[in-house]
Amino acid sequence: MAENFEQHSDVSAADLARLTQEAQAEATPSTAKIIWSEFKADKPAMAALFIIVGFILFVMIGALFINTPKMMETNIMGYFNQPFTSDYWLGADSGGRSVAKQLIVGSRNSIGIAIGLTIISSTFGICWGLISGYFNGYIDWGMQRVYDFMMMLPMTMMIIVLVTIIPHYNSVTLTLIFSIFYWEGTSRLIRSRTLAESEKDYVSASRTSGTNHWKIIFREIMPNISSLIIVDCTLSFAENIGVETGLSYLGFGLPSQTPSLGTMIANANDPNNITQYWWTWLPAALEIIILCLSISYVGQVLRRAADASQRQGAAD
Amino acid sequence: MSLIEIKDLKVHYPIRTGFWNRITDSVRAVDGITFNIEAGETYGLVGESGSGKSTTGKSVVGLEKVTSGSIMYKGVDITKKANRTKLDYNQDVQMIFQDSLSSLNPRKRIEDIIAEPLRNFEHLSKDDEKLRVLQLLDIVGLDADALYKYPHQFSGGQRQRIGVARAVATNPKLIIADEPVSALDLSVQAQVLNFMKKIQREFGISYLFISHDLGVVRHMCNNIAIMNRGRLVEIGTREDIYNHPLHIYTKRLLAAIPETNVNQRAAHRASRLAVEKIYQEQQSKYYDENGEAFPLIQVSPTHAVALPENIAKQLASQEGEVQA
Repeated sequence: MAENFEQHSDVSAADLARLTQEAQAEATPSTAKIIWSEFKADKPAMAALFIIVGFILFVMIGALFINTPKMMETNIMGYFNQPFTSDYWLGADSGGRSVAKQLIVGSRNSIGIAIGLTIISSTFGICWGLISGYFNGYIDWGMQRVYDFMMMLPMTMMIIVLVTIIPHYNSVTLTLIFSIFYWEGTSRLIRSRTLAESEKDYVSASRTSGTNHWKIIFREIMPNISSLIIVDCTLSFAENIGVETGLSYLGFGLPSQTPSLGTMIANANDPNNITQYWWTWLPAALEIIILCLSISYVGQVLRRAADASQRQGAAD
Repeated sequence: MSLIEIKDLKVHYPIRTGFWNRITDSVRAVDGITFNIEAGETYGLVGESGSGKSTTGKSVVGLEKVTSGSIMYKGVDITKKANRTKLDYNQDVQMIFQDSLSSLNPRKRIEDIIAEPLRNFEHLSKDDEKLRVLQLLDIVGLDADALYKYPHQFSGGQRQRIGVARAVATNPKLIIADEPVSALDLSVQAQVLNFMKKIQREFGISYLFISHDLGVVRHMCNNIAIMNRGRLVEIGTREDIYNHPLHIYTKRLLAAIPETNVNQRAAHRASRLAVEKIYQEQQSKYYDENGEAFPLIQVSPTHAVALPENIAKQLASQEGEVQA
């Protein structure tokens, strides 16, 4: 059989190295290079990337040097201390606890939960959507009924109930509880695109080429909806910061000894704090706004990089 | 023995209606067709859009679930998935798709696209595989620097040639060509068709050539089947179909071939209108009471038409054909 091809083509084993080299010279740049050139073309996004990476590294490392139980002890001498003093850079709250230190530890907790939640719920949602959309028929029907049932449950109430009945919950269990409910939107979105995508001819071509279903789903279809996945992941990351924050604000998130962005914003529950002691809640609020904006900037760049027709970076 | 024997193939899609989503009717995309493809020949399957020719092609390659009937290959019915897997059927039967852009995964490099069937069926070493891909690119007239590019960097004709290279990669015995050139402009059509012919000569491949373009079919095919509303209305050699068409549907298709001779414009128009008039007036003669084609009747050793026996004989003698 190989002889058959040898006969009708001038290319032989001797040319292999030379032709490979020629091809490599003409090769399209790798994905990492494309993403980098996209970032270079978009200065605000570049700044956003540095803000996110720098900030996350800062809080992750900074929190290691802070003794949280000691920090959370009430110190009557620091009662609503003014900000920008040598002891309290960002002032102190009603318990005399440093806002700056709480902000660092709280950000670590909130961002950690958001990252964990995004990874778990998106991975699950993407797999669910891809499998449901690709196989169609009975499998799709069954999986969509499970989805419908999950959608029917009142999410916030269920989370609050679960949080109250679990005796010793911490950020890990909280992340897992959130994950039970937050895969649904992603899965439906991915499924709808997969339905359209699996009708395309390249999927048929892969099937006639003898590729198995799982390889088609995860190696053929998934890369083709990667722009959607990236956008969805960045948006849900930004949203997930808000999820924990919102619940902690209501008092059902992390326990009160564990600082988080939500518990800090909850300071704004008190009208006194809003008017006089603005430093207790404003830094956390600003941080969330800046983080979410930065993430969506980065998400846009990633989306453009994944879709050749939207690119602004140097032509390849 | 023929390479592929298709017998009474039916593909029906259920129509579900009502509250309980019950099957109330079915769309008969392919409704009992029978023909054989010989080794090394190009078999043309012609019909208007919606006549079920693509569905037939997809059934033969194993992409479409068949309602009933059989497709025999090497003495095995390949409408069953287990038989296809056992034979490594798709190593021998491949497909070229109509839309060259959507049939190539936009996120994969050309090397990976062409090597995909090789990886699944032949398990070559890395170097052998790359060499084979380079040879295939050479055979379809593309340079080696295409190797690490993406499909969107090529023109339509080049992409379709990449599709041909992928189909040829495992050295198949039959290639289903589902309107391979209808999305290309005319100059590129000829180029791709000539590559397909060249490959057929060199590798002894059979084609099932699906098209609505009778000009292209005449250039490519020795045997032709005309399909209408899910059934075959006429089967014959190129000579039979183009010079002695019997069924009104075939005549209509032939009349629809554009003519560039301006001097005889009026004459062509008149003949087209005459055919159309016969079609409008004599539908009941050519189709049964449900508007479906009749069973095929042999009128010569190579020529069969879907008409009642007496009409078929009568028309055949009018056309001056030798009786079977």
